[in-house]
Amino acid sequence: MKDINFSRRDFLRTAGAVGLAAAFGGIPADIFAEGRRLYKFPEKTDLILLTSRPPQLETPLHYFKELITPNEALFVRWHLANIPTSVDLNKWRLMIGGNTDKALELSMDDLKKFEKVSFTAVIQCSGNGRSFFEPRAAGGQWQNGAMGNVTWSGARLKDILTQAGIKAGSVDVVFDGLDSGPLPKVPDFVKSLPLDKAVEDDIIIAYEMNGEPLTMLNGFPARLVVPGWYATYWVKALREITVVSKTYEEFWMNPAYRIPDTPCACVAPGSKPGKSVPITRMNTRSLIIEPAAAASLKVGRTVDIMGLAFSGGYSIKDVTVSVDGGNTWRESRFGKDMGKYSWIQWYYTWKPEKKGKYTLMARATNSIGESQPFESLWNPSGYMWNKIESIDVNVA
Amino acid sequence: MKIMFMLTAALFLSVMLMQHNAVSMEAANESAVKSIVLPAIDSDLKEGAGKDKVATYCNICHSPDYISMQPPFPADKWSAIVHKMIVVFGAPVNEADSRTIIDYLSSNYGTGK
Repeated sequence: MKDINFSRRDFLRTAGAVGLAAAFGGIPADIFAEGRRLYKFPEKTDLILLTSRPPQLETPLHYFKELITPNEALFVRWHLANIPTSVDLNKWRLMIGGNTDKALELSMDDLKKFEKVSFTAVIQCSGNGRSFFEPRAAGGQWQNGAMGNVTWSGARLKDILTQAGIKAGSVDVVFDGLDSGPLPKVPDFVKSLPLDKAVEDDIIIAYEMNGEPLTMLNGFPARLVVPGWYATYWVKALREITVVSKTYEEFWMNPAYRIPDTPCACVAPGSKPGKSVPITRMNTRSLIIEPAAAASLKVGRTVDIMGLAFSGGYSIKDVTVSVDGGNTWRESRFGKDMGKYSWIQWYYTWKPEKKGKYTLMARATNSIGESQPFESLWNPSGYMWNKIESIDVNVA
Repeated sequence: MKIMFMLTAALFLSVMLMQHNAVSMEAANESAVKSIVLPAIDSDLKEGAGKDKVATYCNICHSPDYISMQPPFPADKWSAIVHKMIVVFGAPVNEADSRTIIDYLSSNYGTGK
């Protein structure tokens, strides 16, 4: 951490003491992004501060010009206030047990003895884009920055479970991390996967992100990676994996992190769903990164419209772009293909010929035909935002 | 958590000595212990009757920005949220204080409905 960041932090602390909420006016622009407060946490760069305890930090959009999201810029989201701030790898063990032939206690060295698997995968919070829903939903008021594209490396969960020996009659696999609540009654953050999902080849216990050990705030020393599924399953700072013989239904599986059990995972805005199911696979979405919203462009000058697109485990087939508010659509070109779990960067070259205001839109479709809606699909928790993005720019 | 606490305490001095580095790796045992120090961040709530109760009880589990981040909600929504904190998360708030907290939230972070 450089000195400048400390002085910046000290300044913020002072500013806070005199009533930061009341007047943002006197604070230099460089500690804000997209009109929101920036803050630097250990091992992280300046990120948008949603909450400090437990920390929820959002990635500023400009980092998404890069194919791979730098570790220091990846978003942070914890559920419970007591988060791990110190881990001794001499003492840390990943415990595997429950409905297994034997119990395992794996050190980091043990974990690294399993075959190492690497792939690039989007990690995205279930509530990414929550602040765009109408009516508004309670929870972390994320814009588009609760996601990132990271190369994860680690051991296959399947290989570890096979070594422990999964007993007949097993139903779910349960994951618990080092975090805990400040009061005894606070439900511990524990998530589960159905056994058939848990033993898929691409589910790993990751101990590296982009070739480096995990940052503490992103789940050091090891986290679950469930590519294609929302990050709520990607349990950080793993401590214990338990195979169980009945469906696991504690708080963070039910009633938390549920979506309406309807084909669109949506209900009429403001209404209550009848039946709900756990949120699982990510839907398809795209984002325009350049030009920025409200950008000023010049008549006759070529603009490279650029963005990203991804879906929950199916490659993106096409991204079409409209520069006239959705009347006509043209196919974009793709950047490097990093596999079906990664986002793809897309480009569309445009030369505006007339002055005026233009509405740019992008719509992605994946290999099984899943696409994006023109109107948002509402659910009470504000999950799975994937409305077709639209930005206005001015040409002069 | 006891072990975590002891580790944190043991590392506190070495972290303090590292002054301008909020991340420490124990040098003696290569990369065995990793520690961070979370920044202290001020965030404050609007002045109003009941703010002290909110500061006392809500802060047990989360920083005030969890409240100030939310869009304006009607009183029944704030009431549902406060009761969830009591029933599900075990916030030790009695009935009278819960009414004070709901009134504060509805007045200062509400829709006026």
